[in-house]
Amino acid sequence: MNVWVVIPARNEQKTIGSVVASTKRLYKNVVVVDDGSTDKTKVIAAKNKAIVLSHAVNLGKGAALKTGCDYAVKNGAVVLVVMDADAQHNPQDISQFLEKMKNVDIVFGYRKLDQNMPFIFKVGNTFINHLTFLLYGIKLHDTQCGFRAFSSASYRKIRWHSPDYSMESEMISNAGRYKLRYVEVPIKTVYKDRYKGTTVMDGIKIAMNMVWWKLRR
Amino acid sequence: MILGIQIVGVLFGLAMLYITFLHGKRKEFTSKEGIFWIVAWVGFIILVVFPNVLDFIASDLLNISRTLDFLIILGFIFLIGISFYNYVLIRKGQKKLEDLVRKLALKK
Repeated sequence: MNVWVVIPARNEQKTIGSVVASTKRLYKNVVVVDDGSTDKTKVIAAKNKAIVLSHAVNLGKGAALKTGCDYAVKNGAVVLVVMDADAQHNPQDISQFLEKMKNVDIVFGYRKLDQNMPFIFKVGNTFINHLTFLLYGIKLHDTQCGFRAFSSASYRKIRWHSPDYSMESEMISNAGRYKLRYVEVPIKTVYKDRYKGTTVMDGIKIAMNMVWWKLRR
Repeated sequence: MILGIQIVGVLFGLAMLYITFLHGKRKEFTSKEGIFWIVAWVGFIILVVFPNVLDFIASDLLNISRTLDFLIILGFIFLIGISFYNYVLIRKGQKKLEDLVRKLALKK
């Protein structure tokens, strides 16, 4: 199976080295998309032998992932695995994803809503999870988890327009539209920075976008 | 119309005429655009000084008792329209930027 791991990154010089190194130990094709970082993210990623693609300006996670996935597909990827650059995702979990990929089109990782997840994230995630089920009929524990795997054929269908964090939900919306087979896999997550990632404003924007995508279908 | 509002309106119109003239001198828009905006601001000043000009539209056609209310409604419609226009322009610009940045990144 020609597996490509795509990691969008912005100002992650503290963690990108270990993330790339630990992923490279397991998988040959690792692409880091540097999304307009102002620190040494791309230098460190390249030092650890990742394929580094660089955005001249910051466009957002969704745009960065599209760049990486487009590149991977162009270079023959059969399965794409997307994960975060901040060491919240363990590359050793990828094997679970690949095992499930034998029978489905897309595998969603999910974080357990345990005491380590900041409260505001728990509330936001729960709300968006319910909204996803209401609008798209897709039942997921964690619609905002960025650890996922999908086939290149599925990528052509789920390829999103959103340049930002909304892409996590848009991917699900498109998966629902094309009735892709999916499954979930539990993952461990480490919350290192309580104030990073999707904010409350992002959550509101995602919720509004989800309604819009539903109407657009 | 209340005199105070008329004075403010005229001063605003004159200020906008001057700003339009400055931008035109710097060739920041075409002469057609410049003429359009000058006509718009002069028209605005005329309406502020002679609001009765609009009475037949406001009261007879649309049943709006005060011309000032009519101008405020027009103002809101204009703002909403121009907001939508700006939204479309920004979205177009975002898409072009994204496509260009991706093209440069994938040149590798």
